[in-house]
Amino acid sequence: MTDALLNLNSVTVRRGMKTVLSNLNLQVSSGQVILFNGKNGEGKSTIIEASAGLIPLEVGSVHHHGELLIDESGKGGKPVHPFGLTLQADGCMGSQRIEEHLHNTMDITGSRIEMDSILERYNLKHRKHDLIAQLSGGQRRKVAMIAGVLPGFVSTKPRLIFLDEPDSGLDQASRTSLIEDIHYLRQKGHAILISSHNKEFEKCATHQYNIDGMVEIDQESTPEIVRDEMPQQPSKGVIALRNGVVCNNRTMSTLAYNGIAGFLTLGILLALVDTTKLDTGTIQKSGLILSSAFAAGLVGDSMVQMLHEHRSLAWWKAHKQGIPSSYIHGSILGFALTLLTQLAMDLPISWELTIIGSILTTSTMFIVRMFDLTSARLARPRAAFTRILTPTLILPFALLVQWVTDSNLI
Amino acid sequence: MIQRETTVGRTMSKRGAEGILILGFIGIGLTLGLALLKAPSVSINAFESPDAQRIFYWHVPAAWAAFIAFGFLFVGSAMWFFKRSNLGWRMHVAGAEAGLATGLITVWSGMVWGAAEWGVPWDWTDVRLNTFGLLTFLALFLVLGRQSQPDGVETRDTFSTFGLYGFVLVPVTYVATRLWQIRHPGPVVGGGDGGSLAGEMAIILLIGAISFTVFIIGHILMSMRITSLEQRLERIQKSMDKV
Repeated sequence: MTDALLNLNSVTVRRGMKTVLSNLNLQVSSGQVILFNGKNGEGKSTIIEASAGLIPLEVGSVHHHGELLIDESGKGGKPVHPFGLTLQADGCMGSQRIEEHLHNTMDITGSRIEMDSILERYNLKHRKHDLIAQLSGGQRRKVAMIAGVLPGFVSTKPRLIFLDEPDSGLDQASRTSLIEDIHYLRQKGHAILISSHNKEFEKCATHQYNIDGMVEIDQESTPEIVRDEMPQQPSKGVIALRNGVVCNNRTMSTLAYNGIAGFLTLGILLALVDTTKLDTGTIQKSGLILSSAFAAGLVGDSMVQMLHEHRSLAWWKAHKQGIPSSYIHGSILGFALTLLTQLAMDLPISWELTIIGSILTTSTMFIVRMFDLTSARLARPRAAFTRILTPTLILPFALLVQWVTDSNLI
Repeated sequence: MIQRETTVGRTMSKRGAEGILILGFIGIGLTLGLALLKAPSVSINAFESPDAQRIFYWHVPAAWAAFIAFGFLFVGSAMWFFKRSNLGWRMHVAGAEAGLATGLITVWSGMVWGAAEWGVPWDWTDVRLNTFGLLTFLALFLVLGRQSQPDGVETRDTFSTFGLYGFVLVPVTYVATRLWQIRHPGPVVGGGDGGSLAGEMAIILLIGAISFTVFIIGHILMSMRITSLEQRLERIQKSMDKV
């Protein structure tokens, strides 16, 4: 088992009401390129996603480099040797720049290389600083495909690379470059799984796999591709946190999404309630001060909405390096709203209460985000009415307000 | 002959579920009549609005029935999640629907009483009131959410997860009046000295509890049958797609 980079042991996967994979056993070793080229619905993408640990298994287990990635009980760990992944739906957020997405891939792998030569091969160097949202469908596909193969270029040790329909929407020149890159990565000892109907991949595949079984393809005559080794640079950490902050700074989504709810709540309460008539130390006064911070948190995390774009959430989940969030911006917003409420009510500033407001927004946002992430696996996650569950937060809020009142923080 | 016996058996079981449900409805109606016309009045010193207390003959049995439904929901969710049991999924669906129906009756009747007795229909700091409200919201989420999704393991896994976590609220709700007695009345049966009922009151409450239990059993049987028919219809449609 330890010799193979990938082991699928008796894997059974169900999608919808259908059993897509049944008792599948597959071993992939260093230097092998497996091409899945069966008909639609035969489970090509399912094999790729199950191998990347993205789909819960009904039966069986998946091992990477001999270590358990996921089993039927959902147990598993972080991949010991991070892999490359190109999802059929790209898996990249529109609010990120090309270079940011590729840096994320390299940081997950463990070190960085200069990416210009690779981008130049795919005619994307001039677009390096552009947002992914500004690219055409084909260009975005190239970014997703490069992100998939990049760990192979970065790592000196054999890695797994999963490419689901990598050629979809690519021009002929890019397809030719991709096939050459796959040859190069295979010669470096990486193991590559490709799902595609394109027969051109038979030029670089060592095995072809479909419903009839595995067929070996002779690649002995392929000339060796020699390229200069790229100098390695250190990677940067806190990948998910960094991306959350960068995307929030760029889009101001927390302000637009959560801030507007908080400001509206504050405005309505100030318009309807004569705050001068509320006695200090009453539950109404404490509740009013914290309401806007609570309302801002109830809206949820704007990053989750962005991560639904092109299945970016699935890409982050597969790599198990955390998922970008808006917690930092949420805590600042909660702090600002509680402070503003006290100023608007002409009260002496209570810094303890202001910090409580900040924690309230962040923790409320965290719980609503959990509801959203739990329902992310559904076929129609946005139609799941998760907001019906937000009243679960009113009781803790009421108890917090009661505690604030009893503690004489105002 | 075997085919005919199976069909007869199915028809009888369908009629059995309908019969139980109708019996439950009659019992619930009878309980309301007895509560309004026969139950003795309570002391005007103990309650702000003594007549409103009559709604408890509905409120308490409805809450009891809701707990049975949420129990079904939990067992069904666990059976699907850990055993992939189709029966478990049908129990989950039936438990959520029955929990929503009885939960809404409980919440509505409690609000009517709260408005008369406390002067407000809802108290956000009362733990039992809120945890029960949340259970009803959970049931609403499960019913509406399931209807918005195509049937499949992803849908069943996700809603079973919510069903399993949500059940934590059941013991919290049950012990809430013992741990945080804010405004909600304590247990009327099995609550120790001073909380027990006697005589006619206990009999009407017992009739209510039995009626709601019969109703919830009928509701769950009907709901499980409907889910089973939906699944059968989908299988037939899928087999027709292949032709």
